[in-house]
Amino acid sequence: MKKKNWFLVSMLLALVLVLAACGGDKDKKNESSGGGDKPKDEEKIDTSAFPVAVENNDEAIKGGTLQVALVNDSPFKGIFSAELYEDAYDSEIMAFASNSIFKTKEDFLISDEGIASLKVDADNKKVTVKIREGVKWSDGEPLTIDDVIYPYEIIGHKDYTGVRYDGDFKNIIGATEYHAGKAKTISGLKKIDDLTLEITFKKLSPAIYNGGDGLWGYAAPKHYLKDVAIKELIKSDKIRKTPVTLGAFKFDKIVNGESVQFLANEHYWNGQPKIDKVVLTTVPSTQIAEGLKAGKYDIATSYRSTNYDAVKDLENLTVLGRKELAYSYVGFKLGKFDTKKGENVTDPNAKMGDVSLRQAFAYAMDVEQVAEEYYGGLRTRSNSLIPPVFSAFYDDSLEGFKYDPEKAKKLLDDAGYKDVDGDGLREDKNGKKLEIKLAGMAGDDKDEAMMQFYLQNWKDAGLNVVLTTGRLIEFNSFYDKVKADDKDIDVYMAAWGTGTNPSPSGIYARDASYSYSRFTSPELDKLLANIDSEEAIDPEYRAKAFKDWQVYMAEQAPVFPIYYRTEIMPVNKRVKNYNKDWVNESDLNQLELTAEEPIK
Amino acid sequence: MWKTVLRRFLVMIPQLFVLSLLIFVMAKFMPGDPFTGLITPETDPNVIEELRIKAGFYDPWYVQYYNWITNAFQGDFGDSYTFKVAVSSLIGERALNTFWLSLLSVVLLYAIAIPLGILAGRYQDSLLDKGIVLYSFISYAIPTFVLSLIFLFMFGYHIPIFPTSGTVDVSHDPGTWGYFWSKVYHMLLPAITYALLATTGVIQYLRSEIIDSKSMDYVKTARSKGLPISKVYTKHIFRNSLLPIAAFFGFTITGLLGGSVFIETIFGYPGMGQLFISSIASRDYSVITTLVMLFGFLTLLGSLLSDIIMSIVDPRIRIE
Repeated sequence: MKKKNWFLVSMLLALVLVLAACGGDKDKKNESSGGGDKPKDEEKIDTSAFPVAVENNDEAIKGGTLQVALVNDSPFKGIFSAELYEDAYDSEIMAFASNSIFKTKEDFLISDEGIASLKVDADNKKVTVKIREGVKWSDGEPLTIDDVIYPYEIIGHKDYTGVRYDGDFKNIIGATEYHAGKAKTISGLKKIDDLTLEITFKKLSPAIYNGGDGLWGYAAPKHYLKDVAIKELIKSDKIRKTPVTLGAFKFDKIVNGESVQFLANEHYWNGQPKIDKVVLTTVPSTQIAEGLKAGKYDIATSYRSTNYDAVKDLENLTVLGRKELAYSYVGFKLGKFDTKKGENVTDPNAKMGDVSLRQAFAYAMDVEQVAEEYYGGLRTRSNSLIPPVFSAFYDDSLEGFKYDPEKAKKLLDDAGYKDVDGDGLREDKNGKKLEIKLAGMAGDDKDEAMMQFYLQNWKDAGLNVVLTTGRLIEFNSFYDKVKADDKDIDVYMAAWGTGTNPSPSGIYARDASYSYSRFTSPELDKLLANIDSEEAIDPEYRAKAFKDWQVYMAEQAPVFPIYYRTEIMPVNKRVKNYNKDWVNESDLNQLELTAEEPIK
Repeated sequence: MWKTVLRRFLVMIPQLFVLSLLIFVMAKFMPGDPFTGLITPETDPNVIEELRIKAGFYDPWYVQYYNWITNAFQGDFGDSYTFKVAVSSLIGERALNTFWLSLLSVVLLYAIAIPLGILAGRYQDSLLDKGIVLYSFISYAIPTFVLSLIFLFMFGYHIPIFPTSGTVDVSHDPGTWGYFWSKVYHMLLPAITYALLATTGVIQYLRSEIIDSKSMDYVKTARSKGLPISKVYTKHIFRNSLLPIAAFFGFTITGLLGGSVFIETIFGYPGMGQLFISSIASRDYSVITTLVMLFGFLTLLGSLLSDIIMSIVDPRIRIE
């Protein structure tokens, strides 16, 4: 008996301990959000107010070590080659020692500021890439045009196993022959002299100015890699342990999956960096806010915007923010993908085939409220399928589908979707029950709550929307179902990252298997063709083609955008000259520190 | 005895075979594949399809299984789809991390638990005993991640005496003393956390065995012969009380490679538990199947080892 009592008491004690632990956390949270009794309006975040650059006018110290946290709950993969890596974290690491040869200006168009410049001869479908003289690799060897050609020979090689030997790459004349092993070199690549390369393409589109159409934007150190067979390259130490690079910093030591130490690259073509060292450490997401607060790290990359609350009031940080190259959207299943023909086939009798129904579905969603309530403004309602970063192509005059329940109801009434049996839910045009099945991706608790909010929105408009499988779906299953045109999906909610080439053909064209809505029309074909046509090499023509396409997509609404996202980057106040603006990102060699240790 | 051991090894073969079949088929049943996560509008769908064909994902499952098992028999477990290195070298690297961490944890665990268990049993119902029992229940009740986070924030950030992530500081060169010490230093906090949480079983077993033994006839005999009480404890009671712990020792040894998902994730320590979870999330089939096979083999081996250890420490038990 006695023992039992002890057991109970200790259980109680344990419980108190756990609860105390939770309580502690909560107190901290309240503290950092400045008390919970503020009216909601004041907490609203104006996303345009995020700075893209740090402002620090203190005097810089000489040298110093920049501490970078890579927020990641699993070890990084460690494939440090632009041609071979697949994981976004690897590319974040490589950014400190990038082999990129082009720099970009607004709308991600290639500028003349980088190591290489680009000249396009549209009439002859040729481009000329010319590199600067005197650029050196981190081991002191000079950069030659052979190093610019070598990546093409890696990607095009028959033993190459990555994802970059794609349709674009085959656009280079001779690439397929080289891949098949019929040719020793790629015939479309012509070395003019030690600094100049001429590339001939099968066709040229405006995407060439964004580094598309098969143009490759990185160099590979041929003198260093040529002894490694392409098949072995991805496993070789020359890629994983001791890469030779062009960027402001060079790899010094690597602890596989955990951390990297970079040293200033004394051969950097744009001038030796002002700081001595960069130490990059993988930090689990549970620790990062505490680490930033304690002054362990200067910069956190891949910081999750949902954890913004944890850093927003820290005195020792500046939180930078910029719009992501991505949008979330809602898509309607309007057909199937015909694998034999390799094209999308739209079914005119699809459940969501009526334009008014689709528009009403969009107008019924109160996206703005969700963006504010659930994302604290770190997401904003989007009006177009082109992110606003692409300023020349983005149509800011589009209204999008701003929440308007009355308009939604009117559209449905006029289109013949009426509540016949009086249960508060509309029937279809023939008076039959209308049940719309929606597939959503599972994430955290927020996603669940948001989905319930939207379901209520649609119910208010009289639409009976239910979730496919009855709940949100795990990422892999979700895409399996969406891709296979599962009959239980009428509507789905997903997101696209756009990359730096804004051309929408890859995800909306007739032959694009990624066009999960399966919407096609001759009009759409024409509009998409215009965007990538040869005439569109004229920027004004292309801008207009983009706008026409956006207007058409808004009218037809086979998919409609819901949010733009903002990515945030906490930076310690001792960092100087750091700018993450998409348009004029600062060169890392300019970065300075104004204190020996990160400010606490 | 050796005959039995050999027989047990032979029985493992069909057991592992069934396990491999099950895990292979079930892994393939999971929705998605390693290439699903690669899709962006910039990747060409045809390329992804080609990769799937090259990887043999469209072959019937028995063909895929046959290819895999024949390679596996030759020691080739394929390449990881996400890490792009041979599965064996990937696992080798992680297993080493996990092994050292687990070894330190287990050493600490016994260093804490055995004295506490003995003291609690010897001074039964004293304040000390009550304190130890209370401690062991508290440690049993606290979820791993709660204590890990508390320790991490206390000793990693507020009183920064321990490193907070990784297995080693990047500035040291492998092979040097600094490197070695840095590795140990990085292991300490997770190992202490783990040891403190896992003590309950050992303490409770030891305590109750000692209490039982105290009233045994051989103890009374020893006492009546005039042996001092401390000698009775070290010579007679202690040895017999360790039997139930020895019974699990085989599992403890093979369990050194299992790793703890919580500890590894929170402390950012790349090990086996973490690798297993992330390989499932990314559908890295070759890693999943190899790990499950390895864990299966270790479990079977652990039970065999436990039996052998028992037969050594307890002469009454014979393996026939």
